[in-house]
Amino acid sequence: MSLFDTTQLSLEAALRGSSLRQTLLTDNLANVNTPGYQRKDVDFHAALASAMQTGESLETLAFSPTTDSSRTVRPDGSGVDPDQESAELAKNALEYQALVSVAGTRTNILQIAMGVR
Amino acid sequence: MGLFDAIDVAGSGLAAERLRMDVTAGNLANAQTTQGANGQPYRRREVVLQEASGQSFGSILASASTSPVNGVQVAGIVEDPAPARRVYDPGHPDADAQGYVTLPNVNPVTEMVDLISASRSYEANVTAMQTAKQLFSKTLELLR
Repeated sequence: MSLFDTTQLSLEAALRGSSLRQTLLTDNLANVNTPGYQRKDVDFHAALASAMQTGESLETLAFSPTTDSSRTVRPDGSGVDPDQESAELAKNALEYQALVSVAGTRTNILQIAMGVR
Repeated sequence: MGLFDAIDVAGSGLAAERLRMDVTAGNLANAQTTQGANGQPYRRREVVLQEASGQSFGSILASASTSPVNGVQVAGIVEDPAPARRVYDPGHPDADAQGYVTLPNVNPVTEMVDLISASRSYEANVTAMQTAKQLFSKTLELLR
């Protein structure tokens, strides 16, 4: 077992995915009044799950954002519902913080094991 | 690609919504202006937003890592083609031969609604920016 095991690598990949999703959701909110704008999102959970099943390298796992063209919630063609985006943003931020906490705890465990502290 | 992107994107949203607020305030201020810059009655202006095309240096750098996120930018400020209001007021210095004054096509109610919309969108962008900032400082705590 190497120092950086699957859990650590998948944590890093999840952090990358969550960070990308945060940026995409922020972009959606910034474009809430842009006519014809279609919301973007990324399902990094599914990408991560399939990568872990197929044994794809988690270090090089790239997340591809999708554009949702099926929804139009406003007469000007904008597909952004600000309430929903805000809720998703808050959820994603909590998830990111949870991931960071776990990553921090794991680093502490490694440091204790190495006798750094 | 990173959380700083989120802050930049929210920043572009703040700039866009602030301009919408400025233009709406300009419309409200000029609701009774019968002599605009061209001598004609003032015409209502509207901000058209578009998804940023991402021509900045940072975004070209980011596109190397296939970043689809660019934020929002102003496509232009257009004049509302709606017909002007005509009000009978023969005593007005700008009244025509029939005693009618041509007033701007500004409806204060529409402007107030636009103002609320811009203000709420601004707040949403502020929240997004604060969240990104919190996440980033949380990540920096890992280094302590």
